[in-house]
Amino acid sequence: MGKYILKRLGYIVVVFLIVSLLMYSLYNLIPSDPARQELEPQRRNMKPDEYEQAYQRLRQQLGLDDPLIVRYLRWIGLWKGLDGRFDGLLEGNFGYSNLYKQNVVDVIKAPMSNTIFINIFSTILSLGITIPLGIYCAVHKGKRFDQATQVVTMLGYSIPIYIIALVFMFLFCIVWRIFPVMGTKTAGATYTSSWDEFVDKLYHITLPVIVMTFGSLGGMTRYVRSAMIDALSMDYVRTARAKGVKEKVVIYSHAWRNALLPVITSILGWFLSIFSGSVIIENTFSLNGMGKLYWQGLNNLDFELVLAIQMFYSVVSLVGSLLIDISYGLVDPRVRVDK
Amino acid sequence: MANNQKKGFFLTRWFRRAFMGSDQEVRDIMQEEQVQTPFKTMAKNFFAKHTVRIGLGGFILVFLFVLIGPRYWVLDLSEQDSTLINLPPSSDFMSVPKEMQGNIVDLAAGKTYGIGLDKNGKLHTWGYTRITEKVNLANIPDEVQAANIVQLAAGEDHCVALDDNGQIYVWGNTRLQQGKFSSDMTKAMKNAAKGESDPSWDIIQIEASNQFSAALSSDGTLYLWGNTNMADIKLRSQYQGNIAKVALTANEYICLMKDGTVAYTGYKDKGSPFAAIPAGLEGKTVVDIAATSGSMAALTSDGEVFVWGSSTAGEKNVPAFSGKPVAIYGGRYHYDALMEDGSVVAWGNNKYHQVDVPGGLSGITKIYTGNFANYALDASGAVHTWGLKGFTLGTDNLGRDLLTRIVNGGRVTMTVGAISVVIATIIGVLLGGLAGYFGGKADLLIMRIAEIVGGLPFIPFAMILSAVIGTRLDPTQRMYLIMVVLGILSWVPTCRLVRAQILAQREMEYVTAAKAMGIKEWQIVFRHILPNVISLLLVSMTLDFATCMLTESTLSYLGFGIPLPTPTWGNLLTGANNSVVIQQYWWQWVFPAAIFGVCTICINMIGDGLRDAVDPKSQER
Repeated sequence: MGKYILKRLGYIVVVFLIVSLLMYSLYNLIPSDPARQELEPQRRNMKPDEYEQAYQRLRQQLGLDDPLIVRYLRWIGLWKGLDGRFDGLLEGNFGYSNLYKQNVVDVIKAPMSNTIFINIFSTILSLGITIPLGIYCAVHKGKRFDQATQVVTMLGYSIPIYIIALVFMFLFCIVWRIFPVMGTKTAGATYTSSWDEFVDKLYHITLPVIVMTFGSLGGMTRYVRSAMIDALSMDYVRTARAKGVKEKVVIYSHAWRNALLPVITSILGWFLSIFSGSVIIENTFSLNGMGKLYWQGLNNLDFELVLAIQMFYSVVSLVGSLLIDISYGLVDPRVRVDK
Repeated sequence: MANNQKKGFFLTRWFRRAFMGSDQEVRDIMQEEQVQTPFKTMAKNFFAKHTVRIGLGGFILVFLFVLIGPRYWVLDLSEQDSTLINLPPSSDFMSVPKEMQGNIVDLAAGKTYGIGLDKNGKLHTWGYTRITEKVNLANIPDEVQAANIVQLAAGEDHCVALDDNGQIYVWGNTRLQQGKFSSDMTKAMKNAAKGESDPSWDIIQIEASNQFSAALSSDGTLYLWGNTNMADIKLRSQYQGNIAKVALTANEYICLMKDGTVAYTGYKDKGSPFAAIPAGLEGKTVVDIAATSGSMAALTSDGEVFVWGSSTAGEKNVPAFSGKPVAIYGGRYHYDALMEDGSVVAWGNNKYHQVDVPGGLSGITKIYTGNFANYALDASGAVHTWGLKGFTLGTDNLGRDLLTRIVNGGRVTMTVGAISVVIATIIGVLLGGLAGYFGGKADLLIMRIAEIVGGLPFIPFAMILSAVIGTRLDPTQRMYLIMVVLGILSWVPTCRLVRAQILAQREMEYVTAAKAMGIKEWQIVFRHILPNVISLLLVSMTLDFATCMLTESTLSYLGFGIPLPTPTWGNLLTGANNSVVIQQYWWQWVFPAAIFGVCTICINMIGDGLRDAVDPKSQER
């Protein structure tokens, strides 16, 4: 198992480097010239050839004339910077946000905690709902409840999440007036204790979490259901029943453990889509999260910020896939033995 | 005879055999043995399901709607109109109440509404009268209801009425001084209320336009009031007392003088296109004037019409009249001319059919026109209407017809979805085929690439691609970019599917046979194995089509897909996420969301049915 995890870790590092190189080259496609930008205010006070000299000097200082791969390695922190230090992504320097006039690290702190909070919340909620629901539907296949669930889940994965968000907003915020339409905190609120702050935050993110959960119900429930039906039609289930094993044991011990394998695979795809989905949800509900920040950064061409967030998404997806791999290894002994 | 028939029958049979395959007799044996081609079994299974039939029907309906619709609802990307913003679904802009038919005293056509006075002195309003959440023109004030009204005028967001006692009433939106009379007028009205007769307050004409109004007395005195910031509503003193008629554009006005000349009497007469009265009018007697929102027209006594101002919609293309016009009327972008013989000729912009005068109109005595509506009154008092009836699905925040945008947006979304699926399938089949058949290093490499691409968070990555590359592209190129981006990011599942299928098929006997016959390897993959995989591919393509449409619309919703003003089902919903739109302008998000939801649900139903039909094992599920 340890060897297996180590192997996966190595693989993930390689993939991370490839993805970050890809992103960095993409970022370099944008026509921009930081040296000229920096010199622009002083341009009037300089003679043309003086300006040209200063410009060339600055270009060299900033290392703009170095080959792409060197600049990439410098950015990621594997190559000595111009001041002779390693100062890149891996050392914790994520760059400088032009939009917020702050270091990216400081900009993304609060949104990151919000996003992770929301996503973990809705992950727990939707796994907690979909797995029992899928198992129940598989066991009671063809019954009325199953058919109704099929219809609802079909709606859930056919309708884009922002439309679901609009409908839920209409119902919960306008017709019933239970939740606020947008934001992460009550405007102008001052909290007497951190508990109040937490409660207020919880109140504001309840609806987004509900929407995200609803949106991811469809696909997962169907997946669990079909995996479970496959498992229940196996011979060992019939054997177990013939032996007189209790139905509960048959379902949860014999069938479910085998159905778990395909379900875990699908959780990876779903885990990624939930972060994609949070871009939409955060924009729709104006939540101060990574997705909203990403959207703002892209709209304002603040590419250092965007690049940092993109790296965050990549890391999330890689860590997600690592977790899936490990749990796969835990569940399926064959994986451990083979690799 | 009988012989002939038999011969004919034989010939048909022969013909059928030659061109349509085997004979009925032969097929009977097949049926007896219950032999069916796999394709037939699939089709039978497919159509046997309820959900499939519903989905197929629904999808075909939406598809035809989107395919044929753009011919009837032609998209105009530059379209916008400030008078038509945020209108709900309606078709009653010109539906004059029944009790008014035949006994109309006065009528005024406003922005999207009408207001009328019948012989019993009762006021009626129709059409969309709501201006804001609080202000509704249909709420006629009690004092107006009680007064004995004789004349009406309808402006952009306010109504003006005159009673037989010389009092003028204004209601509607009055926050921009639409109801603020000058001191002269208040004084004159006070005197009139006391019963004193005043030659300079014998009002014969009232007019209302965009936030300002005008009243004209029989002695030639003109009164103007309203929002002075918007409109040039001052009057040069040398003209006062000589005015015979007034016509209002959106922000200016023009006067017909008592001596039969036309004059721009306002202060903004330097260099304004409205003040440049055509030279051809000199020496001619003008009998009538009219104005659209941006142009002015004068009718001379010999039946000639002159149009000047900033005409943008063909108001200046005056047609050649067969008869002699006696009066002219102006809408927002069009003119109506009433002929001597009681017929009507109209010209100008025809977007909302405001120039399509109904055939067989005769004996018309009076026309009321405003914005896009026309009401013609004939001698018997019956009203004939033409022009803008309303919008079936309402309008958006720029005054664009939502139905047109939904139809055309559907076309864009479906095209983008279909083409990106084709791109994704081509890449997926090629790479999956290579990986599956050749295995080894090729397989390892391709599957690692697939893992990386599949592992990228989809929406953020598509957003950054669109933002980085898209900035240098025009909207059409950007549409192609979106197709390619979607295709490049979504080939992974297809690739995995093809690879897995080919791995399974590779071991089958027919592949061994093909190999033994010395057929080239790529031919084995793509001509022998692939047809066996095609049915599963079809399923994944159907389901991917829905997914690609969803992704495109999501990107457009976030502003990184197809840019506005090109409509797609996604960007129609951009900006719908605030409580004002959700609650008050519900039609702006309900209709696009509904048709899009129906479409994707139908496609997914078809895809599910197809999968069940193709893979009999899954039917047990």
